[in-house]
Amino acid sequence: MVNISSVVDESEKLEQFIQRIENGEKIEVDDWMPEEYRIALIKLISMHGISEIMGALPEKEWVPKAPSLQRKLGIMAKVQDEMGHGQLLLRVAEDLLKSYGKNRGDLMDDLFKGDLKFHNVFHMATKTWGDAGLIGWLVDGAAIITQTNMLNASYGPYARALHRICAEEVFHAQHGEAIIMALAEGTEVQKEMIQDALNRWWPALLMFFGPASSDTTGASKQDVTIKYKIRTKSNEELRQDFFTKYIPRILSLGLTIPDPTIHFDEEKQTWIYQQPDWNEFKQIIKNKGPRSQERLNLRRTSYENNAWVRDALAAVIN
Amino acid sequence: MSITTLNPENKKAIIKLLYQLADDDFLYAYRGSEWLGLAPHIEEDVASSSIAQDSMGHAAMFYRLLEELGEGNADDLAHARQSHERKNCILVERVNGPGSYMENAQYDWAYAVVRNYLYTTAKKVKIQSLKQSSYQPLADVAVKVDMELHYHLLHWKTWFIQLLSSTDEARARMKDAYVQVMNDFTDVFSFGKDAELIKVYNLIDTESVLKQKWIDTITPVLESVQLEIPETFDTGKLNGRNGDHTKDLQGALSILSEVYDMNPAVAW
Amino acid sequence: MTNETKTFYQEYEVFSKRTPTASFQHQFSLLAPNEEMAIVMAQENFMRREPVYDIWVVNRTNIRRLDQEEKQILNRLDNKEYRNTKGYGYLKKKWRHYEQKMFDEKEILSWGKEKSK
Repeated sequence: MVNISSVVDESEKLEQFIQRIENGEKIEVDDWMPEEYRIALIKLISMHGISEIMGALPEKEWVPKAPSLQRKLGIMAKVQDEMGHGQLLLRVAEDLLKSYGKNRGDLMDDLFKGDLKFHNVFHMATKTWGDAGLIGWLVDGAAIITQTNMLNASYGPYARALHRICAEEVFHAQHGEAIIMALAEGTEVQKEMIQDALNRWWPALLMFFGPASSDTTGASKQDVTIKYKIRTKSNEELRQDFFTKYIPRILSLGLTIPDPTIHFDEEKQTWIYQQPDWNEFKQIIKNKGPRSQERLNLRRTSYENNAWVRDALAAVIN
Repeated sequence: MSITTLNPENKKAIIKLLYQLADDDFLYAYRGSEWLGLAPHIEEDVASSSIAQDSMGHAAMFYRLLEELGEGNADDLAHARQSHERKNCILVERVNGPGSYMENAQYDWAYAVVRNYLYTTAKKVKIQSLKQSSYQPLADVAVKVDMELHYHLLHWKTWFIQLLSSTDEARARMKDAYVQVMNDFTDVFSFGKDAELIKVYNLIDTESVLKQKWIDTITPVLESVQLEIPETFDTGKLNGRNGDHTKDLQGALSILSEVYDMNPAVAW
Repeated sequence: MTNETKTFYQEYEVFSKRTPTASFQHQFSLLAPNEEMAIVMAQENFMRREPVYDIWVVNRTNIRRLDQEEKQILNRLDNKEYRNTKGYGYLKKKWRHYEQKMFDEKEILSWGKEKSK
């Protein structure tokens, strides 16, 4: 038998909750929240956190190979930040997961089982030093666009973490630009290196923002996150912002966008461009991308090989 | 002593010592950086990353001192020199474990902790001595390095003691790692063929003084976890200070100079 | 502690002071198996780009929080002018009548800056 008063309670709570969000109030971890909100946050924030952790791996590939002391240090600092961002975000997700009895260990298990998704870009291979620059410049650029859009997120802990993260992203952007600038002003070989990197990464950059609508891949979380004011712009709006902010810079360095059709339609006030292969996107985020399994294995192997460390220190807690 | 008042032999002694110090920290930092993303705990990954960065920063300071002495550009010194030209100790060139850092890395955390802790304790002894170096620029660098060593020591000592004081399994692994690290400790305090030259100019304490200071500081720590310094810890044959290295170093060098080698003359 | 709490993943809240005269601020939380490890993790995880003068770590189990019900104790009426300067603003006019100025907050707090003669 349904308890009528609890049903009324719930819908009243939901109304108050929506009102709080509309007023610009922040929701904190112990506040009442609808399950839909909690679940959306957990999915979004775990994915974001895990993306940072997994994203450290393609970048870290270039730490030992970086061609100068300064660049080695710069990438090390950047990789450290990615891990640090992952830490901040996973903590936020973990606090939300407590009510399901899950913790960091469970999150790592889910990651290795393939149950957790991470951004498409981090499944891609890196081939040259140009990739190291491109990642810092445009992949981080894309991430800055999506992250700054959530700086005013309704969920307090996420908004606070994002403030710290975005402040550090400024250094990342400049570090990436520094690498690219040296190449753009360098030898023919160096200039070709960035163009080649751009050609290979362009589709992944477009895909980073997610499909414009659920029609494309059969799923899209953007409606829920917009409804609850976790973000304000849609995937397509963010992708358009990326074009507006970055295409002029890319062209200014003498590079060509590997999409001959791309142009800004003055009348429609929108960028017209060639769609990436969204089927490929679906495969990639199912952990079937070019480097998905290798990177997961790399992490999983180390995590499992060193499980004894965690077991040892846990065993002696009194 | 400043650069302008150095006689050629004095300058040579400083240069010899600097290559050892620079190459030590450079390789140490390089091996540390291979662990990025692979530490047993995310918070630890973030924290130990700072140590690798600090250490590479120390190497950069030493390479820059060499630059000031006319040895060439710091980046070239770090990236262009071949295996037989390197003066690091064997301990820091050793791989972290089987596999490569990009694929199938089977790195052992016990080895990382023991190597990092013992290397840092040895570095501390040397740096303390260098603060009194007759070569002022080196003494100044030593003061800066010493400031960061406080954290490095606390960090690795905490892991070292805690793992050795925990479960039987952890202890067994740590003891194996300890034996492995001690087997490579021979040339850590050695100055190789340049020992006499370096001694003459009061740049740093002698090998035997440094070694004894280290033994004095480390013994109580080891005793607290029922470990001893093995008698053979300084009797090995290979001396990295004389340019004798293992193939592990060759592996490291080919990766770290991969992009640099494409065109050493350009800016990156 | 029960077996359930013997997890490597203990939750620690981190506090830090930027300068000797600043008060402790709450940073974020981190996971560590014990407080020594938490201290070793704290600085580089949260304060690697800012000056740090001191650090505290506190295991969450040592924190007494308020649950949702209890948070109601924090509500109060806005009828307490008797203990705020707001309730005594009328004195300004009175002192003016006696040709004296009002000792308000701004005035009184400025006395600390006055030097000896």
